[in-house]
Amino acid sequence: MGSDAMQSKRTALILVLLLVASRPARAQVDVTGEWSPRVYNTHMDIGDYTGIPINEAGRLRAESWHPDQLDLPENLCRPHPIDIGLRVSVSQLRITTESDTETRQPVGLRLHVAWQEPEQVIYMDGRPHPSANAPHKWSGFSTGHWERNTLVYTTTHLKEAYLTRTGVPKSERSTVTTRVHRYGNLMTIVFIINDPLYLTAPYIRASSWIFDPTQIIPPFPCEISPDGTIIGAGKVPSFMPGKNDILADFATEYGIPLEAALGGEETLYPEYIKKMKTMKVAPRTSTEHYRRAQ
Amino acid sequence: MDSRRVVLITAAALLLLSARFAAQRPATAQAGAPGSARTAAPDDYTGYWVSEVTEKWRFRMLVPDKNDYIQVPLNPEGRRVAALWDPAKDEAGGEACRSYGAAALLQVPGRLHITWQDDNTLRLDTDSGTQTRLFRFGGSPPANEKPSWQGYSAATWGGDEPRDRRDGQGGPVQDKEGRLVVDKAQQRTADYLQVVTTRMRPGYLQKNGVPYSANAVVEEYFDVFSDPYTKNTWLGVTTLVTDPQYLIEPLIMHAHFKKLPDASGWDPTPCRANEPR
Repeated sequence: MGSDAMQSKRTALILVLLLVASRPARAQVDVTGEWSPRVYNTHMDIGDYTGIPINEAGRLRAESWHPDQLDLPENLCRPHPIDIGLRVSVSQLRITTESDTETRQPVGLRLHVAWQEPEQVIYMDGRPHPSANAPHKWSGFSTGHWERNTLVYTTTHLKEAYLTRTGVPKSERSTVTTRVHRYGNLMTIVFIINDPLYLTAPYIRASSWIFDPTQIIPPFPCEISPDGTIIGAGKVPSFMPGKNDILADFATEYGIPLEAALGGEETLYPEYIKKMKTMKVAPRTSTEHYRRAQ
Repeated sequence: MDSRRVVLITAAALLLLSARFAAQRPATAQAGAPGSARTAAPDDYTGYWVSEVTEKWRFRMLVPDKNDYIQVPLNPEGRRVAALWDPAKDEAGGEACRSYGAAALLQVPGRLHITWQDDNTLRLDTDSGTQTRLFRFGGSPPANEKPSWQGYSAATWGGDEPRDRRDGQGGPVQDKEGRLVVDKAQQRTADYLQVVTTRMRPGYLQKNGVPYSANAVVEEYFDVFSDPYTKNTWLGVTTLVTDPQYLIEPLIMHAHFKKLPDASGWDPTPCRANEPR
């Protein structure tokens, strides 16, 4: 072996050592523990797609959704994907370290949420995401890293689900980037949802939790009623296009132009306030909310 | 493998990795006097930003009805005061800025312009309500500070508190003079803006007269990040309002702002008691 080759190999060795020495830093912040939710739920009404950059396909799916679908046997114990569960359900949260079962070395973090008890593992050991053809799950597949003091993780392989509790869809092609910030005993989680099928732009929303080491997360048993017990056997309640007779109730209730209540990217920006003034609003109803406001 | 190729491939990998870490490094290359808050800034907060209202849309893009405060943990006194809301009276009495005070200003849809007023004061202007907030680093409110809509905001760069380290007796590791010993492994990097605001005039948490008192304390946490899908730069704000006079527990709110290339769309408006912005 010539001296040039030796020199090259020595240089390569030094570079490799430098690479190893500059591996990503370990966790900057400890996010493990019990976290009590301060989550204010929204979108509880049929026809409330406000603040969602939904597209026409998403709106069509949402409008066909019937609230009685929640009572179908297959839906009674159906969980939300964990990113949605943290936002739209009772979301007491526990975060623990996930260790390799054989080496006992930490490989990431595990999230456990109260409602329907979903679990999500965030792998921090550099493993790749599985093939696009791998099965999709309620917890998806998540890999994460630290950006200074912020835990950032990306979730793929999620099942088709809902963005809200009232039928706004989220496709199986969605990807969620989640940013976990800890500010002392306050933790804010920012969800950035990208869905090429039903959204025209990433949908960003955040929720917060308070550190509560004494929190107890109770078990969440769920029992499925036999087919036909609540909804007639073989029936799937839904609305045909243009036939949803409760779609406008939310807009009417709160004095919102129907077009605005049905969401879309344009509705997210301050300029839309001026535009709404030129839009038609249905006469207010005499429902409970309206009476309370008088 | 050819030895030169080995070196080239390794060098390329190192270059890529260096670029990745450079992207994660705090953007401390801002102009400012050595040791100033401006020089120590972990991110660039300056520029124009626009609200993207994905949270609490009907409470922000419209003026909610009186007594519509379902997402605010009001106590009975807070509910009593909320029921007295009269926007016409506020306009007539010169109190139209009540819903543009520090506790709620970032909930009002609009644009922000953030600049360094000096090396230790970050200035935030809003077009909605034409308000100015000053985030002062290294100061505390003067004893004679008069209450104002925006109050007094004390700012720090947060997240650089060292990790806890204990000696064999359970106490913190100290040197002979009793000073905490912080080694490299304990150090952390500041990565967010923390602002605590007091000395505010009483105002509204929502446009519809949901009250906060003169004794309220507002804590805010500002983060700059980019989303991997559009590569847009975002400013995320978590606001925590503590006010035992009207709230049964602290109210937590969130707001997101997208960075803009310039001032286009800047639309200054006066305070208006019965308009969303």
